[in-house]
Amino acid sequence: MAVDWAEKDDGDLLALIQTGSHHAFGVLVRRHTERFYRLAYRYVQNREAAEDIVQDAFLKLWEEPARWRPDRHSKFTTWFYTVVVNLCLDWRKKKRPVQIPEEMPLVDEGLRPEEAAARAEEQRRLEAEIAALPERQREALNLCFAEGLSNQEAADIMRVNLKALQSLLMRAKTTLRERLGE
Amino acid sequence: MSEMSDEKLEQMLRARRVAPPSTDLAERIILKAQAIPQVQALPLGQSLRQIFGEFHLPKPAYVLAGTLIIGFVLGFSDPFDKVPIDRGGSTSAQAFLYVEEDTL
Repeated sequence: MAVDWAEKDDGDLLALIQTGSHHAFGVLVRRHTERFYRLAYRYVQNREAAEDIVQDAFLKLWEEPARWRPDRHSKFTTWFYTVVVNLCLDWRKKKRPVQIPEEMPLVDEGLRPEEAAARAEEQRRLEAEIAALPERQREALNLCFAEGLSNQEAADIMRVNLKALQSLLMRAKTTLRERLGE
Repeated sequence: MSEMSDEKLEQMLRARRVAPPSTDLAERIILKAQAIPQVQALPLGQSLRQIFGEFHLPKPAYVLAGTLIIGFVLGFSDPFDKVPIDRGGSTSAQAFLYVEEDTL
């Protein structure tokens, strides 16, 4: 009977990876690479660094699959976000301060040139202001506005309670509203 | 100074763009993993057996006998110089320490 790998959930794939299944690892990587890349990019603002971080995270998982403990970790994505975030924070400690790229990436190619330029400038300002926030506030923003993460999941990743996370978000947004409204 | 509305800010935060990753990022990761051996976690019992296997302990009877022998040897040896008996029979700590001094 042919196995439909696409139907296997993350927990099943991880159990197979722990038995040495490279195919299961491949399915997991293809399923989640882009999501974790986007998160890493928000932290480091550098494509190559974000790719390296995601690669390191997955290779660590392959090398030591026993790190995933289903009895301790409720959801793979929540746990793996923590792994990726820690690698991002390590990267930031070792490297130069985050450089906001001059050319902001745009996906909306249907914009008129003047609209595209205005949107790029707006994005550049936003990224610069986010980079200037205290680290915990920045982390809260990056996690809460990453796709698929609830506030509770973000709080779990940051190892704070929900109220603490909401407080961080509130302070971050207050600062950004003031600075971007000028 | 006007403050941006919360709605506008949230819209901007959700619209944050990222530079797209390399199209072959996932495949590169998968390929690299093929060259990396996995470290398999051992059950606790097996790990402990491996650790204790590094220590080659002799049988308990030999350890006991060896300890007794060492104890006897230490007990009968006298690492310090003997104190002369003709110091008025004194066996005080002072006499023991000041061996070189003449008795008054």
